Amino acid sequence: MIQVEHIEKEFVSPKKYPGLKGAIKGLFSNEKVHKLAVDDISFTIDDGEIVGYIGSNGAGKSTTIKMMTGILTPTKGKCLIHGVDPNKERMVNAKNIGVVFGQRTQLWWDLPLSESYTILKEIYNVSDEDYKERMEFLNEVLDLPDFFDKPVRTLSLGQRMRADLGAALIHNPKVLYLDEPTVGLDLVVKDKVREAIRVINEKYQTTVILTTHDIGDIEELCSRIIVIDEGKKIYDGGLAELKETYGTRRKVIMEVRAVQQAKDLDWEQILGKPADTFTVEGDEENNLLSFTFDKNDLQVSDVISAVMNEAEVKDIQIQETELSEIVKAIYQHGL
Amino acid sequence: MGKFIRTYLPFTSNSLKQNMAYKGAFYLNMFCSIFAAFINYYLWMAIYGSAESGVLAGLSKNEMVIYVFMSYIVSSVAMVSMSRAVGKDIQKGDIAMTLIKPMDYRMSLIAQSLGTMIYRFILPGLFVWIGLEIYRVTGLGLPAVRISNILLFLLSTFLSFMIYVLFEFCFGMIAFFTTYIFGLEMAKTAVLSFLTGQLIPLAFFPEAVQRLFDFLPFSSMLYAPVMIYLGKYTGSTLMFVLARQAVWVVLLYLLGSLIWRQVVKRLIVLGG
Amino acid sequence: MKKIKRYCRLYKVLVSQFLKTIMQSKVDFFMGLLGFFFTQIMGIVFLYLVFEQIPSLQGWTLDQLIFIYGFAQIPRGIDHLLTDNIWLVSYWMVIDGDFDRYMLRPMNLFFQVICEKLQPDALGELVIGMILVVISLSKGILAVDACHILLFIVSMIAGAVIYTSVKLFFASIAFWVKQSGPFLQVAYELTNFAKYPTEIYSRAVRFIITWVIPFAFVAYLPASYFLMKRDALSTIGVECVIAALLWIVSYSLFMYGTTKYESAGN
Repeated sequence: MIQVEHIEKEFVSPKKYPGLKGAIKGLFSNEKVHKLAVDDISFTIDDGEIVGYIGSNGAGKSTTIKMMTGILTPTKGKCLIHGVDPNKERMVNAKNIGVVFGQRTQLWWDLPLSESYTILKEIYNVSDEDYKERMEFLNEVLDLPDFFDKPVRTLSLGQRMRADLGAALIHNPKVLYLDEPTVGLDLVVKDKVREAIRVINEKYQTTVILTTHDIGDIEELCSRIIVIDEGKKIYDGGLAELKETYGTRRKVIMEVRAVQQAKDLDWEQILGKPADTFTVEGDEENNLLSFTFDKNDLQVSDVISAVMNEAEVKDIQIQETELSEIVKAIYQHGL
Repeated sequence: MGKFIRTYLPFTSNSLKQNMAYKGAFYLNMFCSIFAAFINYYLWMAIYGSAESGVLAGLSKNEMVIYVFMSYIVSSVAMVSMSRAVGKDIQKGDIAMTLIKPMDYRMSLIAQSLGTMIYRFILPGLFVWIGLEIYRVTGLGLPAVRISNILLFLLSTFLSFMIYVLFEFCFGMIAFFTTYIFGLEMAKTAVLSFLTGQLIPLAFFPEAVQRLFDFLPFSSMLYAPVMIYLGKYTGSTLMFVLARQAVWVVLLYLLGSLIWRQVVKRLIVLGG
Repeated sequence: MKKIKRYCRLYKVLVSQFLKTIMQSKVDFFMGLLGFFFTQIMGIVFLYLVFEQIPSLQGWTLDQLIFIYGFAQIPRGIDHLLTDNIWLVSYWMVIDGDFDRYMLRPMNLFFQVICEKLQPDALGELVIGMILVVISLSKGILAVDACHILLFIVSMIAGAVIYTSVKLFFASIAFWVKQSGPFLQVAYELTNFAKYPTEIYSRAVRFIITWVIPFAFVAYLPASYFLMKRDALSTIGVECVIAALLWIVSYSLFMYGTTKYESAGN
């Protein structure tokens, strides 16, 4: 179990001034800039969960992950990863976790991948039997043999990502942290990586915490997401609930005869709602009349029956808000 | 000319800014510089203290004090290293990028070095210089340096800067043939500290070796301005020394162009 | 004990991997060797030129000075060979966030820093140092008996520890200021003072290099023991005590610094 309790991280840096004059001024000034990157975040994650940790750039995702992995020490609060405080017992914690940072490899750049793995086996003190069993599994889910003897620097991004993922799993960690694991990968490789993560999670009950900007990662992997913005946690819950709570916009598109006529009706009166709660659009070319509204203001069924009373409806289509739009709204602080 | 300045001035001012970016480094440079010069100072004072005659290789003890600190100033002002920057550009392949920009790569590097030179002229240059002159008048009881000597010294130092930077450009191009320029850098620094007179005045070398040095550009990098400041050169010798510096500027410029042309040819063939 | 065995094994594995990668570029290796070789040679030539003019330097002969010079190179070379990666920590690893990967592995942090790299350039210093010491031996200016030989080895190790500690101390400052390379550079350059007898310096300088950044103890003072000018306790003895103290201070600062590490990208 992972417990994160009221963690905070503040960064202090000297103030920089622009221009040549600024450079001279900077020499003599002692002003500091304080930035609260993570602001009182708490959550608990059970074993075997896959949790998506999302937020816009600079929201504090990586900072939180770095505190949980023991790289950074929180300014306030603490984390317990399987009962271990990563800042107090860094080495014990390091054995319990695996980490993949998408932008930065942990492998030895100039060595063949196989040698990197041999070194990691020594570092994590993995027994020969465990290593063999582990490698059989990893070879299967990550197709490592294709490039096992190549130097890491010659691997493609997709291969390197799989290699890094494998490297983080050699010691069978209880928790796996993934920082943007699919960034820059093509669709096929993305699928492969996601599939691998899912299999690992199922087979070993590995807890997975991943940060990502890719909606696909979230939809396909995460049962739960935590959203942070400007260092604060703004959502923590299931994916379905997120859609339920924030994806309340509905669009009903109906094929009708005489679109223009139907559009010009006094819908404010017909629906009995003020004009700013919905929008009506007409597409004469395809004979489509569409209503966009929030489901808290109007029921889909009410709209449909109202329209059916007024016009001849041939076809109906109902659209929900897509997750990507919800996330976009969150990133733009639209919540 | 106006366009020329507009193109390259940003390089100069940027490198000035970069030099000032780290407050810590600024104060440290001051401290470090003075310390390094003092090692030499003490060493020479001990040497003169142990010598039987008061004049070694034509320099009195007082002149040696001035030599140590002025050579220190010239080496930090004129000897602005850029071969490492060149080497880095080559290894990262950025050098091919400079070919597509509408400007001369070497000029942009020189403009950058100029920024560093200006910075170092102020720190530690001016500080040590003023300190030295005060000590010279109050401590050593010598008359202050003549204005004409200062002007000639500044001219000569600028020529030294040009010689050094042009030499560095040629040296940096060696990075084309090795991936590890650090070792060569070390060797170069060590050898130069000798051949330029930074570590020990060239007059200490045997006659034959000194004559050999006359045919190398290194004495023009540091020894010349310092000796001019000390007033050791006069009349035709002085003219000859300055002219020799100017000739080296031209020669090294031409050599650099020649090497650069080869490098560009190679770049086009190998594609960076 | 088991832990030590494990770390020895790890060191072997990690260093041998590193050696494999550097063996690919022999030219670079010789280049680096050459660089440090030249630097040392120039120092010796300087002494020769100076002694053309004077019979002795405040009572020290050329032979004695050459011994001090060579003696100083050995602990410097040992430290340089084994812990060169400390420079990268102070210049780049902290500011670029590359230190992250050490924080993620279940190994001692200092151990990880030093086993990442061996610096073969250091052989340039070691070879020159040994040659000069051997030359000095042949000149008969040194005391040679079992005790001196033993203390010679002790002094080399203690000297190297002093070098490493000073480097680690200044590199650790990077955890607070992000980049401490310039500080480290200054401190390291002070070692140049140690190549000559400290008596030539003013009292303030002598105080600094003896008690503040004690580089006098890596070269001149122990060397004077072997030149039969001082007793063992006030030279090698004090050197060992200083080495131990400095190591404790530097290592603590380093470990404390890692808790202040801010990684990159903020």
